[in-house]
Amino acid sequence: MRKALEILIALGILLVMASGLFAEKMRLNVVEHDLENGMKILILERHTSPVVSFYLRFKVGSVDEHPGITGIAHLCEHMMFKGTKNVGTWNYGAEAPLLNEIDSLAHQWRREMECTKHPLYRGDTPRLEELRQEIAEVQQEERGYIIKDELWETYMKNGGIRLNASTGNDGTQYYVSLPASRLELWAYLESDRMANPIFREFYSERDVVNEERRLRTDDQPWGKLWEEFYAAAFTAHPYSWPVVGWATDIQMILREDVERFFRTYYAPNNTIAVVVGDVNPERVIDLCERYFGPIPPQEPPPPVITEEPPQTGERRVNVQFDAEPIVAIGYHVPGGGDPDQPVLEVIASLLSRGKTSRFYKNIVERKLATSVNAYAPFSRYPELFTVTATPLKPHSTQEVEEAIYVELEKLKTEPVSEWELEKFANQLEANFIRGMKSNMGMAWRLGNYQALVGDWRHLLRHKKELGAVTPEEIMRVAKRYLNDSNRTVATLVKKESKKKITRVKPESSRPYY
Amino acid sequence: MHKRSSLTKALTIFFISTFLFSALTSGLLAQERPRLSPAAKKIATFEYEELKWKVPEVGKEVKRKVLRNGMILYLMENHELPTFEMRAIVRTGSIYEPVEQTGLASLAGTVMRTGGTRSMTPDELNRRLEYVGARLSSWVGSESGGASLSCLSKDTDEALQMFADVLMHPGFNEEQLELEKEKRKDAIRRRNDRPGSILNREFNHLLYADHPYGRIQEWEQIKDLTPEDLKRFHQRYFKPNNIILGVAGDFNTKRIIKKIEKAFLPDKIWQAGKSWKKGRVDSPARPKITKSYRPGVYLIEKEITQSNVRMGHLGVKLGNPDEYAIRVMNFILGGGSFTSRMTSKVRSDEGLAYSVRSSFDTGSKDYGTFSASCQTKVGSTHRAIELMLEEIKKIQEGLVAEEELQTAKEAYINKYVFNFTDPISVLTQLMYIEYNDRPKDYLQTYLDNVRKVTREDVLRVAKRYLEPEGLTLLVVGDIPKFDKPLDDFGGITVIPLEEPRID
Repeated sequence: MRKALEILIALGILLVMASGLFAEKMRLNVVEHDLENGMKILILERHTSPVVSFYLRFKVGSVDEHPGITGIAHLCEHMMFKGTKNVGTWNYGAEAPLLNEIDSLAHQWRREMECTKHPLYRGDTPRLEELRQEIAEVQQEERGYIIKDELWETYMKNGGIRLNASTGNDGTQYYVSLPASRLELWAYLESDRMANPIFREFYSERDVVNEERRLRTDDQPWGKLWEEFYAAAFTAHPYSWPVVGWATDIQMILREDVERFFRTYYAPNNTIAVVVGDVNPERVIDLCERYFGPIPPQEPPPPVITEEPPQTGERRVNVQFDAEPIVAIGYHVPGGGDPDQPVLEVIASLLSRGKTSRFYKNIVERKLATSVNAYAPFSRYPELFTVTATPLKPHSTQEVEEAIYVELEKLKTEPVSEWELEKFANQLEANFIRGMKSNMGMAWRLGNYQALVGDWRHLLRHKKELGAVTPEEIMRVAKRYLNDSNRTVATLVKKESKKKITRVKPESSRPYY
Repeated sequence: MHKRSSLTKALTIFFISTFLFSALTSGLLAQERPRLSPAAKKIATFEYEELKWKVPEVGKEVKRKVLRNGMILYLMENHELPTFEMRAIVRTGSIYEPVEQTGLASLAGTVMRTGGTRSMTPDELNRRLEYVGARLSSWVGSESGGASLSCLSKDTDEALQMFADVLMHPGFNEEQLELEKEKRKDAIRRRNDRPGSILNREFNHLLYADHPYGRIQEWEQIKDLTPEDLKRFHQRYFKPNNIILGVAGDFNTKRIIKKIEKAFLPDKIWQAGKSWKKGRVDSPARPKITKSYRPGVYLIEKEITQSNVRMGHLGVKLGNPDEYAIRVMNFILGGGSFTSRMTSKVRSDEGLAYSVRSSFDTGSKDYGTFSASCQTKVGSTHRAIELMLEEIKKIQEGLVAEEELQTAKEAYINKYVFNFTDPISVLTQLMYIEYNDRPKDYLQTYLDNVRKVTREDVLRVAKRYLEPEGLTLLVVGDIPKFDKPLDDFGGITVIPLEEPRID
C-alpha cells in the first residue's frame, strides 16, 4: 500500500491514509492559474500514460439565446471547426472579400425569405433561386483558397482521439485527448480559434445542422417528445427551447449573427481550460500565458434575466408519432448549488439506479414497464427533475404513471431505509473512484463545476453533500417539489402510419450458406 | 521504442512537406507555389518530445497462466486506484444456435446474471453487488460470450466469489427469464419506431439472410424457451477450458491467483450435483457464408423527414493479410471522419448530411461487411447516394494522394498509445488476440504493418475488395418525396415494413 500511496501522490491525488474511505479523505491536487485577461486554467497531473486530455469550456449555451436565434450557440460550436485566418486557408487576404460578398447576398436572401412569409404571398420568388445560385458561385470561388477541415485533420494526424465539441443549455465545450507531447499544438490551435475564427462555409454548415436536427429530433420518438416536453414545462425561461434550436430559426441565422454571438460570449474572461494528464503544470501555464494570454478580455456577457414563474397546475402534452407509447414526467426543481439539489440526486438514484431500485423492483419487475428512469440535473438555473418510462403492453402510459406516483408518494410518507442510504454512499464512493480512471472524465467534471458554481472544489463538496443526505431531508424535499401542480407530463401517442402491412414475409430471405 | 518514436517524427515532417501536392484542392499543378496555411508553417516548427511508453507484453507487464482446470488467466497488477476489474471471454455465440431458437444465446447471456445462482436468489445477488457499488454483467454475442466485473479492491473477495458463481452456477430463475422475454417482446413490438434500427436490422438481413449474422428476432423463436434450455446452453459452453479470464487492478498477483484458483476450482465446496469441470466442448458446425453479391435497390417506406441510406456488400474475414491496407483505404474513403473523402464531399461541401461514413469490418470471424451510410433530407436522397457512389468508384480508379496516405497512417500511429492507457482494456485486447488465434505479436507488429501500407496497396485493396456493381443499397424513408427515383442505381425491390407478430 505504501507503493500505491507514492504512485497516488505522483498522480496529483493527495491521500490522508489514516482510516476510512479512499475518496472521503481525498484532496485533488489541482493547480489553478488565472490569466490576466480572466481566463481560468486548471491542471491535474496524472502520469500513468504519456497522454493528456484537454477540455475547453465556454460559459455559454442555449440559455443565452432568445427567440429568433435559438440554436445559435450550437451553430457557433459547429462553425468553430471551420478554421481561422491561419487555419483552413492558404490566402485569407484573397478569401475575405468573397466572404463579404456572400454575406451581402445572404442578407438579400433573408429579406426575400421574409417577403415569402407574407399572408398574401404565394410560393418562392425567382429572385430567391437566383440568390441561392449566386451564393453558390461565390462559394465555389472561395473554395480555391480553402484547405478543407484543416483543424480536424491536424488533430487527427497528431493522434487526437475523442475530438469533438458539444453544446448544452448551460455550456459549450471543446475537447480532445492527445499524446502528451502535443501540448503546444493544442494551445496554439485553441487560442487561434478563440482569437481569429473565420466562419467559412457557413451556409453548407447551417444545412448540416438542419440535418442534425432531423436526425436527432424530428425522426426520433424520444427526441420529439423531449422537445415538446420542455416547451410545455417552461413557459418563460430559455430552457424551454431545444439546444439544437427551432427549425425556422436555424434556417434564417446569418453568418454575422453567429459572429456577434461569438464576440459576446467567447471571451477569455468567460472561458475555462482544463488539462488532465501527463504534463508539467509550469509548462502548461507558460504555454497558456504565451498563447491565450494576448487575447483581449470583453465586457461580461449579458445576464439571463427571465425566471420561470411558479407553476400553478399540472400541464399535459400529447405528441402524435409513428411509434409505440412512451412518457416523460417533470417537476420544477432548483439548480446546482441549492441545498435541495443533492437530495433530489439521491432520490433519483434510489428510485432508478440498479436492479434493487424502487422503480425496478416495483414497476419493471411487475412488468408494467421495460424501463423507468429518474434524473436530477445539476444546472445553472432551476431545471426539471424528470422521470421517463417505456410502458410494457398491455399496460398503458397512464398505468405506468400511476405506479410512478405511488413510489413518489411513498417518499413523502415513509423514511427511506438505512440500507438504501448506505448503498447509495457505497456506490457514490465506488463511482467516484472509477471516474478517476478517465483523464477526460476528470477534466469534464472539474471544468463543469468551475463553470457552474465558480469553483472546481465543488466536485468534492458535492460528493460530501450527497453522502450526508438524511431520510428526513428526502421526505421534506419530496413533499416540496414532487407535487402534481408542479408537474408536466408528455406522452407519445401512436399515430398509425398510412400503410399498415401485416404478416407479409419478404421473399428476400435467401440463405448464403 | 526509441526507433518507433523518431520514425513517427520523421513521418510528421514528411507529411507537412508534401502538403503542397494536395488532391483536395484539385487542379493544382505540382509546380505551383506551396499552398500551406500559415498555421501549417507554424506547426512545422513545433518540436515534440518522444513519448516514453511501450506496448505491454505477456511475460513482462502482463502475466499469463493456465490453471489446472484449463482456464487461461491474464493478469495485470496496477495500484494506481483501489479498484479490481475482471473479464471473462467464453468460446460460444449465437453463431451456434439454430434459427428456430434465435435469441437463445443472447437470452442465456443476460439471464445468467439476472437469474441468480445456485446459492443466491436474483434478489440476494443484486443486493450484495449493488450494496458495495460493484458492477457485474454477462452477455453472449454472435461470436463470443463473457462476463465483466468492476469493484473496489476492498470488496475483491466477495465480488470474485459472486463472479465465479455466476459463471459456473447460474440459477436461470424462471421469473427473471420471463421478465427478460417480456422485455424482448416489447423490443420486437417497438422495432420499427426508430429509422436507424430498421436500417441496421434489414440491411444485415439483406446481406446475411438467415445466417446468424443477419437473423431477425421473432417472438415465436423465444416464447417457449425455458430455464432448462438456457441451462443446457450454459452447460455446453461454459467450461473452464473454454474460458479466458483477465484480471487487472489493485492486487498482489501471487495472492490473487490463489484466490481465483480457489473460486474456480470449487469441487470441494460444491459436492452436490455436477461440478464445474474441464471437459470436451462439442460446438455444432458453424454455418458458413459463401461470398456473393446481391446488387439492387431496396426501399422501406416510412413517413420521416430524412432518408436513412446504407450501401454495402460482404467484405473480408478476420486475419486477412490485407487488413492494414483495408483500414487505411477505408479511413481515406469514409472512415476518417472529416479527413475522409465522403465526409468532405457530402457533409462539408454540400451540407447534405450530419453523419456520413464508411466502415470496413476486418475483425469478423466469417465474412464481415463493407458499408457506407448517411442520413439526408428526403429531397436530397438521390444526390447524396450519387456522391457516395462516386467516391467508392473514385478510390478504385486512381492512387490516393501521398498526403492522404500519410494523414491516415499518422492518425493510426499517433493515437496507438491510447490503446494501452487502461489495464483491463490491455488485457481484453490480449485475450481477444488469443481467442481469435491472431499472431502473438499482433500488438507489437501493428504499427509496422500500418507503416508498410503504400498508395499502391490502397489502390489494390480498393480494386480487390470494393465492388460498386455488387452494392446492396437500402433506403428507409418517405419514398414519394425523394428528389429523383432511385432506379438508375439498380432494380428496385420494396420491402414491406411488417407489423411484428407478437401473439
